[in-house]
Amino acid sequence: MDGKIIVVTSGKGGVGKTTVTASVGAALAKQGKRVAVLDMDIGLRNLDVVMGLENRIVFNVVDVIQGRCKLRQAALKDRRIDNLYLIPASQSDEKSVIKPQNMTWLCNKLRREYDFALLDCPAGIEQGFKNAIEAADEAIVVCTPEVSSVRDADRVIGLLYARSITPRLIVNRIVPQLVEKGDMLSHVDVVDVLSIDLLGLVEMDDAVVVSSNTGNPLVQQKDSRAGMAFNRIAMRLDGHPDLPVEDPMAGRSFWQKVGKKLGRKNRTAKR
Amino acid sequence: MTFHSLIKKLLNKPDSSRNVAKKRLQFALVYDKLEVRDDMLEDLQQDLVEVITRYFEIDRDALSLDIQRMEGSSALILNTPILAAKHQKEGGARAHA
Repeated sequence: MDGKIIVVTSGKGGVGKTTVTASVGAALAKQGKRVAVLDMDIGLRNLDVVMGLENRIVFNVVDVIQGRCKLRQAALKDRRIDNLYLIPASQSDEKSVIKPQNMTWLCNKLRREYDFALLDCPAGIEQGFKNAIEAADEAIVVCTPEVSSVRDADRVIGLLYARSITPRLIVNRIVPQLVEKGDMLSHVDVVDVLSIDLLGLVEMDDAVVVSSNTGNPLVQQKDSRAGMAFNRIAMRLDGHPDLPVEDPMAGRSFWQKVGKKLGRKNRTAKR
Repeated sequence: MTFHSLIKKLLNKPDSSRNVAKKRLQFALVYDKLEVRDDMLEDLQQDLVEVITRYFEIDRDALSLDIQRMEGSSALILNTPILAAKHQKEGGARAHA
């Protein structure tokens, strides 16, 4: 197998990297790919609890790197979704136990074993970030429509370019009503400011909180808009690169609303 | 003031926070990228002095090199008193055939 290593990063913390990693990983596995998701936040592991696999951890990524176990032994199989594996972070080590050359070795192993390996990068741009991007083939930058998050995303994008990685963007937690009111940056604004390809848009969705509360995969919930968005992002990553990005603001413009009020079908969208 | 902004002022309609955010971000990102490490500026100054002294006698101590940031753009400003122009055959000036 000649798999792809994709790092999920953001610079700023709390914008949804872990949710993106878990959900996109699950969606890719549902599409029939063999997927590993890795928690690279050594010392502050969270991907396991978001995915509901925290009770089954035996080995972790540091054990693999230090030769205490085989890669397969550390990969926890998700029992709900076939072909999805979690390699958790170590909770007791520090980021410095992993060196960049360890990552090159690990990523080569992952490429042989899986179609996709998603690396959940820690926040910040220090050692943990450098480790995570060291041997990555592609990068997903996650940001929310807030000034702090967009600015940090810009910094991270610059660092990725310096390593010859062209990242793609996921704009997370868009609230269409706020955008429409003029009180939130739209995905178009964010893409404009960052000049980077858009991989997907994810609306703010209560189901994300419920999913992490319960540890149930978001992409299994059919009525979740965020879950559907992650499924489409996974399609764009695998086989359908041109799947159009849906505009959450579509059908919300003034003229379309007037049209609806008048009981007419929407004609060409006036925007 | 443009006609458009005048109308806006008259109607007392503030810019949406979305647009304010976008403008601030665009400015901040440009500004961030212009941040230069001090040692880089020192290296540049040394290189510039070397080039300039091929052509002019200057007062090295009075030379100043600065980055001036203005709204929307930035300028590299070099200021140096010239003591004398060097004649072609003198010093390090490039020899002409």
